[in-house]
Amino acid sequence: MAKIPKMRPSIRICSLLIMCLVSAVTVTSRIYAQVQSPVMAPVPEPPVLVQAQMCEAIERFQPVNPAVVFSISLGRVYCFSAFDPVFEESIVYHRWYRQDRLISNTRLVLNPPKWSSFSSMQLRPADKGPWRVEIVDSRDKLLKTLRFSISD
Amino acid sequence: MIANFFDIGWQNGLDIALNTYILFRLYVLFRGTNVLRVLLFMGVLLVFRQVAFSMGLIITSWVMQGVIAVAALVIIVVFRNEISSVLKTRDLKFFLWGIPRQQLKTPVGIIVESVYELARKKIGALIVLPLSKGMESVVQEGITWQGKLSKEMLISIFWQDNPVHDGAVVIRGDRITDVGVILPLSKRTDLPSRFGTRHRAAIGLAEQTDAMVIVVSEERGKITLVRDKQIYDINDAAVLEKMLIQHAGGDSSVRDIRKQTRELAIAAAVCLACVTGLWLSFSRGVETLATHDVPVEFVKSDQNMEVFSSSASSIRLLVSGSRPLIRSLKPDRINVKLNLTNTTPGKNSLSVGRNAVSLPPGISVKSIEPSMLEVFVDVPLKKEIALQAFWVGRLSPDLIMTRAVIEPEKILVVGPSQALREIETLFTEPISLDGITESGKITAGIVFTPSTIRPDDQQKSSVQLEYSVQQRENTAS
Repeated sequence: MAKIPKMRPSIRICSLLIMCLVSAVTVTSRIYAQVQSPVMAPVPEPPVLVQAQMCEAIERFQPVNPAVVFSISLGRVYCFSAFDPVFEESIVYHRWYRQDRLISNTRLVLNPPKWSSFSSMQLRPADKGPWRVEIVDSRDKLLKTLRFSISD
Repeated sequence: MIANFFDIGWQNGLDIALNTYILFRLYVLFRGTNVLRVLLFMGVLLVFRQVAFSMGLIITSWVMQGVIAVAALVIIVVFRNEISSVLKTRDLKFFLWGIPRQQLKTPVGIIVESVYELARKKIGALIVLPLSKGMESVVQEGITWQGKLSKEMLISIFWQDNPVHDGAVVIRGDRITDVGVILPLSKRTDLPSRFGTRHRAAIGLAEQTDAMVIVVSEERGKITLVRDKQIYDINDAAVLEKMLIQHAGGDSSVRDIRKQTRELAIAAAVCLACVTGLWLSFSRGVETLATHDVPVEFVKSDQNMEVFSSSASSIRLLVSGSRPLIRSLKPDRINVKLNLTNTTPGKNSLSVGRNAVSLPPGISVKSIEPSMLEVFVDVPLKKEIALQAFWVGRLSPDLIMTRAVIEPEKILVVGPSQALREIETLFTEPISLDGITESGKITAGIVFTPSTIRPDDQQKSSVQLEYSVQQRENTAS
């Protein structure tokens, strides 16, 4: 049976103190790293909606004849939205509701530094009545509600 | 059948008892009067009218009805004195409970003594002792006296200087009830010449009523007694006393009380039979069916719960009963109450049983339609909901509506939580685009759909809409 060499008390106390000091430094550095990490990693800012309109057509990335009442004879109606700035590639949705019923949910990709995008709806005779389009971001935050009507 | 007959319920039992008593009291109060005779005559006419009506004799029934109406007028006009004497001279206790005993406890001795004293002093007197028949319609009303009978009182009334000495005195029981009463004169031609106006008046009353009248002659100091058209010259106080006792009941009072009691018992039985017959004709007559639409009342146990919709707001009841009961049935006497104790939020099917229907006695439910109700109950919530215009029609192709601002943009509504969760927008009534040529303002009502929701503020049920139109510059391709 091997004998354990005996240490002097002064050396034993010193070694214990060193061990405590090392542990304390390690824990503190970990906590500091945890607290500092969010600041260090920047959160992407959502795109800013600057224009949203219902219109009869889109020409050269601009809405044509923005309105709140559209004739069914147009055949199609458009929802135009422009974002500035767009900090990074983002997703927004155009949710089309006829009265309170969800008809379509269009996914649109936005690219930095600014982006315009649109969705459209093919009109049928049964589509006459009040409509709305909700523009929401990827976190389901409502950015704008556009209300319009489809008439004869 | 017999069990069915006796199964009348406590309400009907009480109904019969009360009306029997009312009829019996009318008999007691008016017995012996001409009013009762006319009332009986009217009752007979009423029966004839019903028989004539049921046989289809329209004109006879109509004539009977007219005669009954006239008879009612006759009672009020002709017999007003008898009616007023019944209503006026007796207290409420007597009116409701008392039974008049005819001419009992009359102090015969005082009358005999007084009459002989009057005769001795040759003071003319006319004393009336009514029996059972009323004489209010025969005599002219005198002065109400209501004084305790005494010899001195009687003599002083007929004293020559007394203003009321000319008329007759009426004695009921031990009281002088009226003085100065004018009696009808007899038109008989066979009366002795010694008979003056007093005798003629006494005979006149005796001809028309069963009253006994004592006359004291002023000239001769002779006593004459008139009863049942018979004229007796009284020469002996004992004879007068005997006749008075006989008239007032006297020795035979116990027998007369029994006789009266028997008469009243028979009258009570007849009243009971009449009212029971009437009730049977009402309740066990020809069964008639009728339909009633009755609104449903919901009884809530949880005050937070509210009924938002029901598949029917009223229940159609087919009820049956005798024709008079069905005819007299008013809608407000029919209730349909449904208990919501066991309901849960959402749609509930409730059975409308017979126990939910409350009807007057004697009427039963034959059918209930619908027998089940779909009731939507829920806890009411408040929610702010966006408003939107509902444009219809056709806007001129030359115009574009560029803007439409609705005021207010949102409205606070109250409704069932389930319904409110699904509603995001409320719309206006349809607003026509056809006549629009320029920008303007318009007021439109809000359509609250589903009907279970309503505005929190009932005043706010419309919106202002400001719209802008402009000429179209180019046509969209």
